Amino acid sequence: MININNLRFAWQKEPIINIDALSIEQGQHLFIEGSSGSGKSTLLNLLGGVITPQSGEVEILGQSLNQMSSSQKDSFRANHIGFIFQQFNLIPYLSVLENITLPCTFSIDRKQKALSRSGSLQKEAIRLLSALGINDPALIKRSVNELSVGQQQRVAAARAMLGSPDIIIADEPTSALDNDHRQVFIKILFEECEKENITLIFVSHDATLKHHFSHHINLQELNQVSIKEAL
Amino acid sequence: MAILSLAFKSLLNRKLTFFITLFSIAISVTLLLGVQTLKTETNSSFMKSISGTDLIIGSRGASSQLLLSSVFHIGNTPNTIQYNTYKKISQSPAVEWAVPISMGDSHKGYTVMATDLSFYDYFSFANKQHLKVDKGAIDDDMFAVVIGSEVAKKLNYNIGDQVIVTHGGGEIEGHHHDNIPFYISAILAPSFTAIDQTLIISLEAMEAMHTDNHGHFGALPGEQILPSDNHQAHSDHDEHEHHDEAIHEEHADHDEHEHHDAAAHADHDAHAHHGHQDTQEQRVARLLKIKPEKINAIFVGLTSPQAILSMQSYVNNYQAEPLSAIIPAVALQELWQFFSLAEVALNIVTVFVVLVGLLGMLSIILMSLNERRREMAILRSVGARPGHIFGLIIGEAGFVCFAGILLGVALLYLLLFTLQAPLASYYGFYLDINMLTSNDWFILAIIQLSALVIAFIPGWLIYKYSLSDGMSIKF
Ligand SMILES: Nc1ncnc2c1ncn2[C@@H]1O[C@H](COP(=O)(O)OP(=O)(O)OP(=O)(O)O)[C@@H](O)[C@H]1O
Ligand SMILES: [Mg+2]
Repeated sequence: MININNLRFAWQKEPIINIDALSIEQGQHLFIEGSSGSGKSTLLNLLGGVITPQSGEVEILGQSLNQMSSSQKDSFRANHIGFIFQQFNLIPYLSVLENITLPCTFSIDRKQKALSRSGSLQKEAIRLLSALGINDPALIKRSVNELSVGQQQRVAAARAMLGSPDIIIADEPTSALDNDHRQVFIKILFEECEKENITLIFVSHDATLKHHFSHHINLQELNQVSIKEAL
Repeated sequence: MAILSLAFKSLLNRKLTFFITLFSIAISVTLLLGVQTLKTETNSSFMKSISGTDLIIGSRGASSQLLLSSVFHIGNTPNTIQYNTYKKISQSPAVEWAVPISMGDSHKGYTVMATDLSFYDYFSFANKQHLKVDKGAIDDDMFAVVIGSEVAKKLNYNIGDQVIVTHGGGEIEGHHHDNIPFYISAILAPSFTAIDQTLIISLEAMEAMHTDNHGHFGALPGEQILPSDNHQAHSDHDEHEHHDEAIHEEHADHDEHEHHDAAAHADHDAHAHHGHQDTQEQRVARLLKIKPEKINAIFVGLTSPQAILSMQSYVNNYQAEPLSAIIPAVALQELWQFFSLAEVALNIVTVFVVLVGLLGMLSIILMSLNERRREMAILRSVGARPGHIFGLIIGEAGFVCFAGILLGVALLYLLLFTLQAPLASYYGFYLDINMLTSNDWFILAIIQLSALVIAFIPGWLIYKYSLSDGMSIKF
């Protein structure tokens, strides 16, 4: 469902990405590893259509990102991809509920799916949170600043999953968590993605997580770019 | 819409800086509108000083000087108009009414204006309003004085009180006409014109004071023998009286009509006004009842407005003596032009105050940008377009400015309502509170628009950031 062909991208003439071919199947759980500065986050930005490659093609769900206008790419991202980042995933001035339902502001599709699933956005948010191991419904009205980092990451995961997007892209979502929480978080994320048949692309330089995944690639091996400075 | 609610929540998250920006804009708006209001109000109160008078005639000279002295009672013009000229002019066919004005005396710093009773019938201000009596009644007694509301309030005068008039404008050097006391017959209601600070007496009384003055000088040789002649034996006074009579014999036969007046007044004396005892001088003056020889100005109303220009040129080319006639509305407008420079300076200052307010907003938004790049990256990841991010900033600036304008207008009216009473009572300045003028609305629209335009700077910056940052959060 994701096909990459001859993708080349450079930040200010500094080549970062040069991938001849990469394809990811529907429902696949893919682990991407690579050292710092190898271009992992850059690749995810390319997949999200937030930055435009100099050449090559990214095709997602049979649609070529190259052929879309930038605003089409933005709504495509809103409709089909959920993101989880390393830390600070949440908007500090919005409540937990508002953070989780944020994708509905930009995607009517995902709003409809969430509504048809639970009847209301709030119920769906509570359902997702309890699936992710947060069972306190009162938490939903709280400010996100009152949550622990582990709780924040789960709220971010709930946001990424709301309205069943086709793909969840996670960029080092567990690096702020201690080992116990890391294992639990990954387990829950896996279960939910399997249930919803969501394709999961998981980026980390923590090789200990590799064994959870059915597929993995090492970006440094795949990437044809010679990295000058590996931090 | 969703973006605007995000902008709003983001603002509330930064309450302190939000309120500081809000108040700086509000205060600058209040200042700007306040200055506009003050400008129009001073202008209109200035323009309201006189109305319904078609021409003011004075001796030849600067028109502003004539206007200042006759309407605002500031400065003085020489009283050189022959009373005969006044009569001639008042009889000319185009003239509906003419009121003689004579000035030059004062009472405790307040102007004393001499005129005749027709003044109350014809003088009008603002919207052709006539002077209204607050207490007492206008009396045609020769030594009755009608005082303005300010005079009554500041000097704490009441009906029946005695007033001594001083020759000349100053409170110190002037000569006191204390042998001719006046009694207060009426206190006028506030008109918010110079009349509020004025005492109005009859022309005859003014003439009596001045002939009395001459009398003293005439009696100078006698004074060498008896220095304080003022409160001397009657025989001494009699001398004065004869002297006065002698001097003004010529005036006495000016007009048959005057004798008639004097006769009428003899009746009045019989009423023994307010229990006041007339002094010798007053008694003599009543008998003589002399109109003054010369006056300062004539207020003229014409039968038709079309006659104004021809009457003006007739007066300006008057053969018997050099005169000039001004059209009050035109002269007021001309005089107001003097203030236009101050007006421009004030405008420039207030415009800069508003600019400073908006720049404050700009710097506060710019400072918030860095900490908000993360927020923007999150929004980008859930599908926000760079345009949304741009809109977030513009929306924020627009909202802050709009709220600032609302608060500023509210503050303005609060200020106007609290200042209205003190301004009227302490400064005699009546502040009319009106709806915002179309000019005000225009200014507010410009401010709102400039806020949006200024917000393009941070908007464009964050747009660029969000394009280059993508979704990567690096800090
Ligand atoms: N916005 C940007 N502008 C210019 N260069 C950038 C930008 N973002 C990343 N780069 C450069 O691209 C290269 C790859 O960065 P990227 O963030 O993709 O690495 P990464 O693999 O995600 O590293 P990490 O594991 O530390 O997150 C780096 O050399 C970096 O300097
Ligand atoms: Mg990265």
